[in-house]
Amino acid sequence: MKKLLVLALVLILPFMAFAQGGGETADDDTFRIALIIENTIDDKGWCQSMHDGITQAIAEMPDMKIEYSYNEKMLPVDAGSIARQYVAEGYDLIIAHGAQYKNLILEIAEEYPDVSFAFGTSSEIGPANVFTYMPESEETGYINGIIAGTVTRDDIVGLVGPVDSGDAARYNRGYVLGVQSVNPDAKILVAHTGSFSDYVKSSEVATSQLGNGADVLTGSSQQAIGALRATAESPTAMWVGQDLAQLTTAEGQAKCIAASAYNYAAVVKELVAKITAGTLGGECIPMNFANGGFVFDYNPALKAEWVTPELEAEVQTAIDSFIADPDGTLANWADVDYSTL
Amino acid sequence: MLDIITNMLSMCIPFSVALLLASIGEMFNQRAGVFNLGCEGVMAMGAFIGMLIPFMAGGGGAVSEWYNLLGFVAAAVLGALFGLFFGLVTVTFRAPQGIAGIGLQMFGVGTAGTLFRHFVGGTQSIPGIPDIDIPVLSRIPVIGDIFFSHNAAAYLAYLFIPVAWYILFRTPWGLKVRAAGTSPRAADSMGINVSRVRYEALMLGGALAGLAGAYLSIAQAKMFSDTLISGRGFIAVALVYFGHWHPAQIMGGALLFTLAQTFQTIVQSMGISFPYELAVMLPYILVIVVLSFTSRNQITAPTSLGKPFNREIRT
Repeated sequence: MKKLLVLALVLILPFMAFAQGGGETADDDTFRIALIIENTIDDKGWCQSMHDGITQAIAEMPDMKIEYSYNEKMLPVDAGSIARQYVAEGYDLIIAHGAQYKNLILEIAEEYPDVSFAFGTSSEIGPANVFTYMPESEETGYINGIIAGTVTRDDIVGLVGPVDSGDAARYNRGYVLGVQSVNPDAKILVAHTGSFSDYVKSSEVATSQLGNGADVLTGSSQQAIGALRATAESPTAMWVGQDLAQLTTAEGQAKCIAASAYNYAAVVKELVAKITAGTLGGECIPMNFANGGFVFDYNPALKAEWVTPELEAEVQTAIDSFIADPDGTLANWADVDYSTL
Repeated sequence: MLDIITNMLSMCIPFSVALLLASIGEMFNQRAGVFNLGCEGVMAMGAFIGMLIPFMAGGGGAVSEWYNLLGFVAAAVLGALFGLFFGLVTVTFRAPQGIAGIGLQMFGVGTAGTLFRHFVGGTQSIPGIPDIDIPVLSRIPVIGDIFFSHNAAAYLAYLFIPVAWYILFRTPWGLKVRAAGTSPRAADSMGINVSRVRYEALMLGGALAGLAGAYLSIAQAKMFSDTLISGRGFIAVALVYFGHWHPAQIMGGALLFTLAQTFQTIVQSMGISFPYELAVMLPYILVIVVLSFTSRNQITAPTSLGKPFNREIRT
């Protein structure tokens, strides 16, 4: 028994020598942000947009000493241990990027009332140390819908959604409203893959829609990359994107007329400002064009060919209206019924 | 309406190939008496290596078709090696096949994702292989779109079905495989090296699973991400039961599953008032229903499926 204890101690000692309590070594001047994501920081979609937002926010706050750490591929069942590890290491803000982390965050937040947590997308108002954020992505969908409804030649456009909930549902319905605003006769094909990350299924759905005549497609979340790849196989079909990272891909450069994206930098800066001012949570931070939560850009390689001055003006008018009245312009987005399309 | 139906049917052949290849591979495994739940992991590795070769050769741009072929070959070889490894664990060490299969699945998916991040980085695409319109035949209305306008790998995969049938039912090796899965004790008494046959079947099954993964990354999605397989390996295992361990019936199952998949997409896209969640579930429900209503006397499962063979122990 003694030998076993000695052996165990010998094995554990090296780890103890290198172990350090994060909280004890924490520099009080440093603001620590941790990110927990279910995919990767370079997925050209949901997770990358938050990672990019955090790094951009850090770059835009040069006066603050900010330490940033992330953990990829964290399923909700696994994320609890890493979140507690971040708490132990003295992190000030722990962002679990996805509504699937809601229960986990609410549970841990109760255990650690002095640490600030955030999760989204959600429009719920959380406890005093939990922030939520909600992209009002019907705005970006509407912009892309205007473009799709205008440039379609056969008056058939497609939409490859992941699931019909959260910001994806808002984006999809905004897209429908955008198409209908400029082309009421257009047929809009809407289908969901049931997954945020099944690239093959999204490419199959896109192929199906292309085969049924759609000549402009869109999609949201990381699964949309599969649909974009399928669109690139078509000699004539085009794409409007929900993430600027799509413009950086080969098929995006060839097919994506324009893309909008979430600018999480605005959210992160607001979170940091609120926490340093003493507010640890209890608020939902909306993301929209008015507060800089969205960015939009055309593909420079395709703009001259596909975007007329009239279309560009139409898009700008819509963005201006969102900025002027973020709550009212698309208040009816939830009324869109796909079965009537 | 005819256009919609034609479009739906024309997607069945190319979209069913990955399931078909993986199922046929799993059929060889199970016919030899080994139940390999690790198919998903082998497919992930095949998809990774299959995409990596043309990607490295062309940096994501156009490459010679030889690199795509090399990708398929590498996926088959890697799959066979995974089959060999699985054989070591389950045939030589006689580990429980179900648990070992789950381990292989996790190992394959995890390794593929890790290596992909190291060698490639974020989600990337490749030009892949194009569709080929077979002269004259592809111009036949309706039939041409459904049968004669697909990529070369899809044609080869379907041509392999009669070959698989011939191997299984008309060659001495096929007889040994069936004997090893049905009555390994009797096979052993007839001088058949059961372990060796099981190893060979696992390597063939692994090679086909690797090819199935490579088909997804080179011919269908033309990209790789570590979620690319998304459960298709498990569906392939279910299709073996669905198809009663027979190549032709497995092909029917793969086509039926894919038809249900494309049908639900059409249902959604046409704006038919039907909850999309149910539509997405439709192919899986179909498999469960068909399996449930399969008459017991039609089931021809290898009787020693999942049972390790030890010639020193008489049971």
